[in-house]
Amino acid sequence: MKYKVCIIGGGIIGTAIAYFLGKLGENSVAIFEKRYLSSGATGRCGGGIRQQWSTKSNVRLAMRSVEFFKKFKEEVGMDIEYRQGGYLLLSYSEEEARQFEKNVEMQREEGLDVEILSPRMVSKRYPYINTDGLILATFCPTDGHANPHKATFGYANAAKKMGIDIYTHTEVNGIEVKNGKICGIHTSKGYFECDIVVNAAGAWSKEVGMMAGVQLPTESYRHQIFVTEPLEYFFPFMAISFSGNFYMRQALHGQFIMGQGDKDEKPGINENVTFRFEKEMARKMTKIFPFLENVRILRHWSGEYNMSPDAQPILGKSDKIDNFYYAIGFSGHGFMLAPAVGEAIAELIVFGKTIHSDISYLNTERFKKGIVQEKNVV
Amino acid sequence: MVKKVQALVIGAGPAGLCGSIAIAENGVEVLVVDEGLVPGGQLPKQTHKFFGHEGFFASVRGFEIGEKLYNDAVNLGVKFLMKTTVSGIYEDVIVLYDRENERIYEINADYVLIATGASERFISFKKNYLPGVYGAGAVQTLMNQYRVLPGNDFLIVGAGNIGLIVAYQLLQAGANVKAIVEASNKVGGYLVHANKVKRMGVPILLRHTIVEAIGEERVRGAVISEVDDSFNPIKGTEKELAVDTICLAVGLQPSIELAAQAGAEIKYIPELGGYVPIRDENMKTTVDNVYIAGDLASIEEASTAMIEGYIAGYNIAQKITGLDLSENISKMKKELEEFRRGPFSGKVRKGLKKFGVEFPEGGFRTEPQKDEGPAGKLRVKIECPQNIPCNPCETSCPTGAIDVGGNINGLPYVDYDKCIGCGVCVMKCPGLAIFLVQELSDYSIVGIPYEFELPEKGEKVLLLDRNGEIVGEGEIEKIVRNSKGKTHIVYLKVPKGLEDNVRHFVRHEEKEEEIVCRCEEITRSEIEKAIEEGYTDFEELRRYLRISMGPCGGRVCRLQTLSIISLKTGIPISELESGRFRPPSIPIPFKAILKGDEKDEI
Amino acid sequence: MSRRVVAHPILGDLIEEEVIEFEFEGLKLKALKSDTIASALISNGIDIFGFSESGKPKGFFCAIGKCSSCLVVVDGVPNVRACITPVRDGMRVERQKGKGKPVW
Ligand SMILES: Cc1cc2nc3c(=O)[nH]c(=O)nc-3n(C[C@H](O)[C@H](O)[C@H](O)COP(=O)(O)OP(=O)(O)OC[C@H]3O[C@@H](n4cnc5c(N)ncnc54)[C@H](O)[C@@H]3O)c2cc1C
Ligand SMILES: Cc1cc2nc3c(=O)[nH]c(=O)nc-3n(C[C@H](O)[C@H](O)[C@H](O)COP(=O)(O)OP(=O)(O)OC[C@H]3O[C@@H](n4cnc5c(N)ncnc54)[C@H](O)[C@@H]3O)c2cc1C
Ligand code: SF4
Ligand code: SF4
Ligand code: FES
Repeated sequence: MKYKVCIIGGGIIGTAIAYFLGKLGENSVAIFEKRYLSSGATGRCGGGIRQQWSTKSNVRLAMRSVEFFKKFKEEVGMDIEYRQGGYLLLSYSEEEARQFEKNVEMQREEGLDVEILSPRMVSKRYPYINTDGLILATFCPTDGHANPHKATFGYANAAKKMGIDIYTHTEVNGIEVKNGKICGIHTSKGYFECDIVVNAAGAWSKEVGMMAGVQLPTESYRHQIFVTEPLEYFFPFMAISFSGNFYMRQALHGQFIMGQGDKDEKPGINENVTFRFEKEMARKMTKIFPFLENVRILRHWSGEYNMSPDAQPILGKSDKIDNFYYAIGFSGHGFMLAPAVGEAIAELIVFGKTIHSDISYLNTERFKKGIVQEKNVV
Repeated sequence: MVKKVQALVIGAGPAGLCGSIAIAENGVEVLVVDEGLVPGGQLPKQTHKFFGHEGFFASVRGFEIGEKLYNDAVNLGVKFLMKTTVSGIYEDVIVLYDRENERIYEINADYVLIATGASERFISFKKNYLPGVYGAGAVQTLMNQYRVLPGNDFLIVGAGNIGLIVAYQLLQAGANVKAIVEASNKVGGYLVHANKVKRMGVPILLRHTIVEAIGEERVRGAVISEVDDSFNPIKGTEKELAVDTICLAVGLQPSIELAAQAGAEIKYIPELGGYVPIRDENMKTTVDNVYIAGDLASIEEASTAMIEGYIAGYNIAQKITGLDLSENISKMKKELEEFRRGPFSGKVRKGLKKFGVEFPEGGFRTEPQKDEGPAGKLRVKIECPQNIPCNPCETSCPTGAIDVGGNINGLPYVDYDKCIGCGVCVMKCPGLAIFLVQELSDYSIVGIPYEFELPEKGEKVLLLDRNGEIVGEGEIEKIVRNSKGKTHIVYLKVPKGLEDNVRHFVRHEEKEEEIVCRCEEITRSEIEKAIEEGYTDFEELRRYLRISMGPCGGRVCRLQTLSIISLKTGIPISELESGRFRPPSIPIPFKAILKGDEKDEI
Repeated sequence: MSRRVVAHPILGDLIEEEVIEFEFEGLKLKALKSDTIASALISNGIDIFGFSESGKPKGFFCAIGKCSSCLVVVDGVPNVRACITPVRDGMRVERQKGKGKPVW
């Protein structure tokens, strides 16, 4: 069996790339997913979609994605529960607050509508938030959230309709490289010839790189997250704090979804959960959101952040193997970037260059120049 | 602060109680945690006498067994935390949620015995969401623990032991049971249990199922219909029954969540009740310090649950203390072997074989006794035709007139020369399957085991046969009260020739949508449609439809969904991915976690 | 209609217990001290504990805290499982309609 493009990974990134390839008329494409669609980080993520970033290029990529999320239902054909309820960024440190003010200036230049709110304005607008210790907050009303499973299924279904094949429960266990070029992949369902391979394997990106003999600078770290029992929908935005280390939103369905980062995590795949996480969250979140006290935690799980050295995705072509593409290392914000990334990678494959977004600053070359961390991450 | 214990037992049912006793007997500190109101698991809800042998409380009523085991454990120094749910076995700690004080505790244990028993399975039918459709366990809890009846006229779905017992208990609590419907072509439970309700006039309709609940705000009736060989309702055979409560007793599934969270490997073995943890003959799971016992290991009986509890407990004690307890362990293994030889253990034997744990079968008497004894003598008639693991008839008879032929599964025989008609066995038999008869010149005497409000001596009554049909009129000749055991004997004067028919009596004055996931209101047809759209994995459906994402955590709908997937895709459930079992196992309020932070002692 | 099982051939007569009073949808009802909210409601002949989002009536189902069919609002706090929550003197219980309202 032969395909022009073989995509490894059936998360939001792999399915988005397949969808945009199809839109550009390329349908000799197959997705290989070792478990089921959205079984990786995608199906475990918070579903937040934010444009308030600290670098220009990230703001642009995110704004491009938002354009797609807005018309997802009409264009892709699935209601993904997309809501532009905004993102409220809460800052608890002076230094960060000053950085936020600079960011907002830059974001406004890019055409993003962002407000700066004092603690008093926050408590006036959101009486259910306790603002003790808050220095300032920023709010962007066009940020939002969506249901990641539905988005993945949406892209996958649309891709199938365009003639793209999806192999679930099919693991890629080898990449055949001859004379510095990939000629096919070995899977649990047999060998497939191909012209191009896309590594969209999320937490397993490094292993997939190794299959082609390429060392990739990504590491996976567990991130835990839980949901509560549903309450009536009243909390339309995502509340997030980098200095406070948390994020929380209410799904349209009513449950609160929340999480934090954990500095003590060791690299590796770990699907278990710790109670320490629930305790730390409970302490912190009931202080800021006192209404949570009587709310119950319903289900707690974990997923992997595929981290790159500067907490920014790694996109583009391999500098070692010409027909090997990457869309990896999303460092905890791959869902929100998926449409723009899918479009860019598809353009790169079909036209040899991107048309709508510049992703050149996200290739592997950048690590040779030294690392500039994206700060706006949990 | 995290508290450390040597041995933690989760579940205070017969398995957990016996496990804790075995551990504590050897001087090890044990903590038992149970979410129930009182210790005993299923036992406190059971007002009937249990089968088995006297070593394991045969002929004792369930709730009394529970009390007895609990007292034994307390006397050995076992600590209990009731109304407390083990809400999760996390990577770092085990978390207990104390409902009453709304707080959590954190525990670390060297060894864990998980004996969480089983939860009820459910089926879907039209308008099954209406109040008035209840699980059998729920009805038992309300009726026998809280002493309230959730209705007056009941339809019971399922003629396994649970359905049969619940029917009998409902009759005892003063409710009417209009019918028991059973989709297969035979009664799944013990015939002695079936006979108890049949002779009281409760029809057991085989090859029948429920298709719809009737009512707007609550159940006002039920539509039942016949089913074909593949259990599908046959059009045109529908009948309406006027009932106000529909009680579902369609089977149990092991409560494996915690075992799965502990990392034990899980396998789908339908013979054992569904998904079960893999374990060895010592009840050890694939995780070295995690043991299991009871219904969690295989849906069976209290007697086997107790023995498994002992086996697991002695093994844990042996590991902790370094003592050699092999003698205790092999004694219990022998007991288990004896119990599991019979035909009702066939499924369990077959299922356990899949783990490489083998049990022998047979070696007991299967031929019923032909001799009916000398007419005219007051003597027993035993109507116990199946090989069930039970022998109180043998062990209770003061003259040694009854024997079951060695193995406990054997059929009882009476030595009529020895039987003096004293009636002790009639009061003891948990199946209420022993009667007394005597043919006299003008009439006959039939002695009946009786567990209802007693009639008056000399009272005229209507005589019922084995199917509850009225066959004539008789009179109460004599009553022998049994104030301790509560199974009394009522001697009836019956017309000659009816002594072989009369087995009960009545006193004269007496006489739309199918929802699979209840939390999210997801219907069967929505699931079927999604499967047709290509979402054929449980996890995919879960994410797509939100099935089993609601507050129940998938307890009600997981297996139902898997069976719908299996039906639609033709893939057997054993080959489907069961999906993850995520903590917490009961939603915990933030408040409780905060409170757990403040105080540490248990 | 009282559905209390007062006399029982095996369990014996119901032992006299302290009677308490609680409120359900504004009605003053009596319960035994050992009752849960669910058993107290059932003994008062009330089977409808609330309504689902789509307006379907809901009652208890499993009675052991596993199915979440029985959610009620207690003293303003939603999502309380009636079947495993003890009834208390003076408690205010309401039918939950759809999802619970947050309190702050
Ligand atoms: C707790 C948590 C919260 C998050 N919150 C947000 C958020 O709010 N907003 C946001 O934008 N992002 C968030 N993220 C990040 C986001 O989930 C990821 O960046 C995004 O889902 C990445 O998508 P993906 O398709 O690259 O990876 P994945 O979804 O992980 O997909 C990779 C797929 O590749 C498959 N695969 C791997 N190896 C092989 C192989 N050898 N053969 C076949 N298949 C293979 C895997 O099974 C997997 O399904 C969060 C992540 C986590 C863990
Ligand atoms: C109606 C009926 C009639 C029966 N009749 C008979 C009979 O006549 N003879 C016979 O031998 N057997 C009979 N049985 C079967 C017998 O009751 C069971 O096989 C036996 O109770 C199983 O024991 P167990 O200890 O494994 O589980 P259970 O008795 O079910 O105990 C499990 C315990 O674990 C607790 N638990 C579960 N999860 C958690 C958690 N997360 N945290 C804390 N605690 C938890 C539960 O509250 C429960 O108390 C009957 C069962 C039923 C339902
Ligand atoms: S009636 Fe008495 S003597 Fe006869 S078998 Fe029963 S217990 Fe033995
Ligand atoms: S007759 Fe004997 S074996 Fe049969 S149920 Fe009664 S006591 Fe058990
Ligand atoms: S009735 Fe099932 S949780 Fe209360």
